[in-house]
Amino acid sequence: MISCVTFRNAFAPGTESAEVLQHVRVCDACLDHAAGIDPDIMFRALGGENLVPPGGVDAFVDDVMREVRLRSTEQTLAGRRGMLLSWPRRIAVAATLAAGLSGALMVWQHDKNGVAVPSAMTARSAAIPTRLTTKPVIESYDSANATIVEVPSEANDTKIVMIFDESLPADL
Amino acid sequence: MKQFLISTLLVLMTCGAALAEPTADGKALTVRTYQFKYKDADKAAAAIKALMSAEGSLSIQPSANSLVVTDHPDNLKQIAAALAAFDAPAQAFKLTVRLISAAKMEGTPRVPTELQDVAPKLAMLRYNSFEDLGTIEVESHEGEPGLVDMPTGYRADFRVGEYDPSSDSVKVNDFRLSKLQGAHKDELTQLLKTSLNLKLGQTVILGASKASGSQRALMLVIVAKR
Repeated sequence: MISCVTFRNAFAPGTESAEVLQHVRVCDACLDHAAGIDPDIMFRALGGENLVPPGGVDAFVDDVMREVRLRSTEQTLAGRRGMLLSWPRRIAVAATLAAGLSGALMVWQHDKNGVAVPSAMTARSAAIPTRLTTKPVIESYDSANATIVEVPSEANDTKIVMIFDESLPADL
Repeated sequence: MKQFLISTLLVLMTCGAALAEPTADGKALTVRTYQFKYKDADKAAAAIKALMSAEGSLSIQPSANSLVVTDHPDNLKQIAAALAAFDAPAQAFKLTVRLISAAKMEGTPRVPTELQDVAPKLAMLRYNSFEDLGTIEVESHEGEPGLVDMPTGYRADFRVGEYDPSSDSVKVNDFRLSKLQGAHKDELTQLLKTSLNLKLGQTVILGASKASGSQRALMLVIVAKR
């Protein structure tokens, strides 16, 4: 590599001398000096001795584009993750859940009200209905002059019924 | 996104409309037909009348021995259960009848030991002296007649009627209590004739006397069981 003195003697604006450009890559003082005269020297010096990147220009371009596509994909994915948590999406999810629950409730109520009533031939398991009716103990009595008194009682308590009938014999 | 939100709203509105339907269905009338294998449709109609609502109706089809019932779905569930229990082969029932002579007497009440269980109930009827005239126990199937003579000179004859699931009771048709009288106990005098609805397992005290102020009465303590 040339010395600083040699560099300063050999330097001229717009130079493409490999030795000159190599020197500014390693000597900051000379780079400052040269940049003051020729601002573009720094960029020309970056290429170093070989301006073609390793693997060729095409490989370099491919690497750059691959990196660009990778970043682009990452940004897209990050955007989608953000969209899932955005408020319109949340509303949509809530509405879907509400619709599902409403549908389930509708089916449940439909089943509850619309269960086919078993026919007399097939529903023998439910022998006695839960709501029992009450009948009078005496349904009929073979006398027109009788008075029948039924003493009120609880459902399963002893039932007392009296028949007062003038036609009954005295020596019962 | 707007389209998605509009679609969701439409789904919700549809669900809301569908949810409103069951309420309307609960008030709607439904028609069901029941055909009977063991019992008569007209007797079945009598058995379920008490279970029907004011809006309900029924028609009997004798040719098919069936019943067409129109009522609310909830009522029809109970009616179906009652009819299923009703339309069964003839069931056997055990009837226990205790015959007691009751009187109102001055002095110390007379209550035999075997009548201690019913004496408090009989005392409610102003009688304080009791005599056990005998107990009969007879088992009979629906539709079958029964006849029992007691050693004390009484005779009971009857016909077991239909079991009514709506009231869990059995009907005892033409229950006649007669008394054998005369020197040779060969003259039969009918005392009373009645038809009874006996709830299964419930004790029924049936008293008979000439008037409410009579000093004597004949009491029957009846229990029907399966």
